[in-house]
Amino acid sequence: MKNKKFLSVLCAAAMAMTMLAGCGSTAGSGEAAEGAATAQEEKANAELEESTDTYDHEAIENAGDITITMMVSGTAAENDFETEVLPELINKKWPNLTLEVTKLPDDNYYTSLKTKLASGECPDIILTQPMYAGQNSCYALADAGYLAPLNDMDFVAKMPDLSAVTYDGKLVTATNSVSILGTYYNKAIFEEAGIKDVPKTWDEFLEDCEKIKAAGHTPIVMGDKDQYVLQFGLYQIAANEIYPKDAEYDQKLRTGETAFTDEGTWDTVLSMYNELYENGYIDATQSLGYGASQAITDFIDGKAAMTFDGSFNAAAILGQGEGGDFERGYFPIPAKSGDTHTATCLSAGYSIYSGSEYVDECKELIDYWFNGESDVWDAYVATGRFIVTYGNGADSIPNSDLFAPFIELLNQDKGHHWCNQAWPAGTENTMEELFSEMIGGQGTTVEDITNGMQDKFEDLLDE
Amino acid sequence: MKKKRDKALVFSNKMYLFLIPALSFFLILWVYPVLQLFYYSVTNFNGIDYNYDFVGLKNYIKIFENGSVINSIGNTLIYTLVVVVLSNVLGLAAAMALNTKIHFKGLFRTTAYFPALFSAIVVGFIWTYVYMPSSGMIASLISLFGGDGSTFNPLGDFNVALFAIALVEVWKSFGTTMIIYLAGLQTVDESLLEAGRIDGCTEWQLMRKVKLPLISSTITINVILNVIAGLKAFDYSFIMTNGGPGKSTKTLMFQIYEIAFTDQKMGRASAFSVVSFLVIIAITVAMLFIMNKREVEL
Repeated sequence: MKNKKFLSVLCAAAMAMTMLAGCGSTAGSGEAAEGAATAQEEKANAELEESTDTYDHEAIENAGDITITMMVSGTAAENDFETEVLPELINKKWPNLTLEVTKLPDDNYYTSLKTKLASGECPDIILTQPMYAGQNSCYALADAGYLAPLNDMDFVAKMPDLSAVTYDGKLVTATNSVSILGTYYNKAIFEEAGIKDVPKTWDEFLEDCEKIKAAGHTPIVMGDKDQYVLQFGLYQIAANEIYPKDAEYDQKLRTGETAFTDEGTWDTVLSMYNELYENGYIDATQSLGYGASQAITDFIDGKAAMTFDGSFNAAAILGQGEGGDFERGYFPIPAKSGDTHTATCLSAGYSIYSGSEYVDECKELIDYWFNGESDVWDAYVATGRFIVTYGNGADSIPNSDLFAPFIELLNQDKGHHWCNQAWPAGTENTMEELFSEMIGGQGTTVEDITNGMQDKFEDLLDE
Repeated sequence: MKKKRDKALVFSNKMYLFLIPALSFFLILWVYPVLQLFYYSVTNFNGIDYNYDFVGLKNYIKIFENGSVINSIGNTLIYTLVVVVLSNVLGLAAAMALNTKIHFKGLFRTTAYFPALFSAIVVGFIWTYVYMPSSGMIASLISLFGGDGSTFNPLGDFNVALFAIALVEVWKSFGTTMIIYLAGLQTVDESLLEAGRIDGCTEWQLMRKVKLPLISSTITINVILNVIAGLKAFDYSFIMTNGGPGKSTKTLMFQIYEIAFTDQKMGRASAFSVVSFLVIIAITVAMLFIMNKREVEL
């Protein structure tokens, strides 16, 4: 009993000591943290430094028998590109090189990545996302010093803008494709409702929704039970209403020059999206109980005229359901002014672990893969999962007709990053929660949402 | 004295050496990580960058400041209450019924326990489709009987979603509760029941005055197990609703997961875990104290 008491006292004392030790360093560390955050902003906004050096382009040839490891997220399919095709083609090109690829479901990938980074056993090549997006955000990993600079790679010359994967002047993620958010639509229902062309302005879009509703169809189906799908519509509207007026809006959020509560920014975006629910074009009583996959099923079954979704779900959305093989189209939500922009941005890509023994070998491998003409490139493009912007097949990628309007806007410099890529992870969750409350009739207002987003943003930035 | 100890026939002191491997695993893989939790709770560790700073009690202050604890504790307590009450009432009723001499007793017992054999992931997915609006199982049945199945949407309703996922937990766990009650009921001496019947007790009086007092320790076990399961609720919030709609199904454990892995604030998540640990300990100890006292009274 005495021993137990002694242990309790010891534990309490240890806790108190730890906390006091923490308190003692709070003031200093708070200032340090603030300084670190500002420094991080500067690094994030820095432009890509031009490389004068070059890496060893025959590193693999001279390396002897080596094994390069790679880890990506996703679910391996039959004849999977990353886990089956890529290692085979790489081994065909360099018989002395074995590429070992591990593909893990998203959550497992994040956990595994953190564990491997912490233990210094990270694979040579890892999948990372642009800017601050997700737990494998290239900025966060680069800030911690885990990513090797890739400025001297050959593929860089083929990509016009890699700022979303450049940190402190150093390119940290090799990517060559884009991802799109848009509106898939059922051409048969559009025709039946008397709509001849896709809408060019927000008002036309609302009119078309009304026509579809009047024709007895559900205008838009969404799976809002998976709250992340709210981003699919909101980011399209933000690309039209916020970034054309201020391309630096998100960067300025971090320095305090702009705020989510600024008039004419997120209040406009949220109000516009809410109009779709208020007018019954999206039925919140149903969508809040529907998952993302159920919404896709309803769309391909021909039960709804439109759904907001990404290019990454094209295969599922173009599939055949009970609605038969009806013709589908894809357009960006139009702007109020008619000057429509698009939420089209760089996709996730591949980074090289800074502690890798084979940094040059990895660069040579990725450059071969990304050169626009190799067997690996052709197999990569043929998967249809990547919307590449140069090289073989760039103009004939599967579903290129569908994506053409977006690529056209992108080429006109009217493509914008997805908002959450520039926010600290978690901000979008608050937006989704509060927006769900608003459409679910919980009395939440647009002002509550923008205030909540701003509070969360500041809280997340606070180190 | 030492010599005498070494000669012990049942458990020689040298045998303690064999505890070392298991104890090492326990200390390294369980005790050490738990102690690390306390350590991380006073840092700004983000789960990625190991160059973190000490921030004192800031994490603790933050979690109370932004009200996330209050919302998730509220949801967790409601969830726990539903699980404890329904699981015990249904489990006890099923145990009583299946402790009588009826045909196909074995089949009924197996069927009642069957849901407990599935993993939470499987159960969560099944019930997502059961609850789905329009074409889900319940909505289809409503439509079949002339009702409007399209309006049935428990997971999309802010006021109902928490109860809907708690019911799934009850469905899965009441079989286990029933088995424990069944074991308890089988320890009740038949002669006591017979004596009661001779004295003119009704079946209700036998249950209230004889059976329940005799299985009071079983009730304590079941209530405590269900309280702990309820307070640790995570699976169905994660699988079926992802904490939504809004924040209506966010439990303590879900909130910790979100802070740690979405917000990437491992330090704050650790502080949240410490608070949850204390809350769960306090509630469990209080429940044990009350239940034990009640056992003595019975």
